[in-house]
Amino acid sequence: MQTNLHRKLLVPILLFEGAFVIYPIVRGIILAFQQTNFGKTSWVGLANFRQMIHDPIFWASIRTTFEFTFAMVVVWLSLGLGVALLTNWAFKGRSFVRGILAIPWAIPDVPTVLTFTIMLDPNFGILNRIASWIPGVHHQIQWLTAPNLAFIAIIMMVAWKGFPFYSLVILSSLQAIPDELYEAARVDGAGTIQRFRSITWPSIVPTLSLLAVLAFIFSFQQFTLIYLATGGGPGQDTSTIAILIYNQAFQYFNYNYASSMAVVGLLLAVIGTILFVVFERRVIRQRYLQGGLG
Amino acid sequence: MAVSTVAITSAPARTPPVRNPWPRRKRKAKEAFRYAVIVVLCLVVLFPVYWMVLSTFQPEKYTLTYPPPFWLHGFNTNAISSLFNQQPVASWLFHSFIVSAVTVVVTVVLAIPGAYLLSRLRFRGSGAFAFLLLFTQLMPGAMIIVPELEWFRTLHWTNNLFALGLVYAAFNVPLGCWILKSSFDTVPNEVVDAGYVDGCTQLGSIRRILLPLSRSGLVAVVIVAFFGSWNDYLFASAFLTNRSLYTAGLGIATFISQQNVQLYQLMAAGVVFSLLPVLLYVSVQRHVARGLTAGALK
Repeated sequence: MQTNLHRKLLVPILLFEGAFVIYPIVRGIILAFQQTNFGKTSWVGLANFRQMIHDPIFWASIRTTFEFTFAMVVVWLSLGLGVALLTNWAFKGRSFVRGILAIPWAIPDVPTVLTFTIMLDPNFGILNRIASWIPGVHHQIQWLTAPNLAFIAIIMMVAWKGFPFYSLVILSSLQAIPDELYEAARVDGAGTIQRFRSITWPSIVPTLSLLAVLAFIFSFQQFTLIYLATGGGPGQDTSTIAILIYNQAFQYFNYNYASSMAVVGLLLAVIGTILFVVFERRVIRQRYLQGGLG
Repeated sequence: MAVSTVAITSAPARTPPVRNPWPRRKRKAKEAFRYAVIVVLCLVVLFPVYWMVLSTFQPEKYTLTYPPPFWLHGFNTNAISSLFNQQPVASWLFHSFIVSAVTVVVTVVLAIPGAYLLSRLRFRGSGAFAFLLLFTQLMPGAMIIVPELEWFRTLHWTNNLFALGLVYAAFNVPLGCWILKSSFDTVPNEVVDAGYVDGCTQLGSIRRILLPLSRSGLVAVVIVAFFGSWNDYLFASAFLTNRSLYTAGLGIATFISQQNVQLYQLMAAGVVFSLLPVLLYVSVQRHVARGLTAGALK
């Protein structure tokens, strides 16, 4: 056996990822401690970070980020669980329905934004026509420019685009539960709710917690849908860190300031990655236990 | 714990308790209700797609009126033809295609050794390697957009479609490695060992044994890389400043702020841009669904 085969295989990947990911990360961290004025770059220590912690826009954006990621975790997981439970039985056209329900995943971000922007248009959008059926609602709701509503509209759109993944994964974990468990519980006289509580729920909790971490990470990564729909507005209502960094860099050209915010974002990403590893181990352990039982 | 106790205590079969008097009818009603909910759900989920297609082919006088009609009042292909006549959409789509091709090729070429490392080799630093891949996959692109742009400016790689494809590949290689690793994992060791007995080298075993047995994994990697590249707006918007080099996603996004682009053209652009990924998804859905979920959870 060649013992140094792993080196030969590692080198191309490490070079590639090093050039396009690791090196930019290092360079970004360096930028965060520098300032460029009229083409002259100088070290400024923690000045950018000091500016950052006194910047209300930064804190507003941190708050928006956490509100948004939390909302997405809740919405994606409940939608995913609901759809998975609904489609987890042997019915005619099952695979067809699953195919249909996964279509939003295949529609790219830009057309998704276009469609939702048109549907949410205050003057001729279809959603306002539907909303006008509700008594007391007047038909010119400014979905994407009114405070709070813009946040809700973004959540709707991101939820639509992303939920298929969660329902597919939860469905596959529901199907890993051995049928004998349900049979046995039924023989023992357990009702639907009792069966859900003592069999279904404990079997899928590890998967759900792993998905919660992933939902946090994926909503944290979200850029295109938010940026093209609202640009982060109104105010900082929908301006997550990703949006704020982009605006600071490409609207105000504060590259160094944007980089110091990116350092905070990177730290959050590291925490997310570690959480993912921890929760994933739990899922693997659970699968192993289930395998032993089945 | 709850799971195992149920399994053990109920092992001996007993006579079922008395059920309700008309179980059949009740079950039928329950099924009908479930079907109804599923149909409603499908309609809600498909509605935005329906609306995009409807707005593309709706005759122009209906698209900007309130209330907007729910149904098609005629069939108007003017949106599609005027889109291609008035805007460089065809060349933008071609650019997207080139960039995606670069992404797919580079991702597959690098994911194969990566997956082999994760699946079959134990070496010092393998944990760090796995963490590096995972972090790259989970890190938001916006966090490195500034230094990446500076780096590319130094290299004079902005406005370069090939270089853009390389960046997308860098972000898709990790997921590609995980997906392919889970495919490699399913190949039994005995099969690989039999290959060694027949004189296969370790590298030869990847090409002759593992890859042919991991076709659906490979398809999933191709799909993921293609979608990742086709879908991007963030990096394209920073790296491409020359309008004649725009990818379709970037070009179509600029329509949003342009006054001279009609609404129905906007929707037509959306339909045209979604066509390829949706067709791809529909054609490989069966094979890929497993590979994708497996890859996401390793």
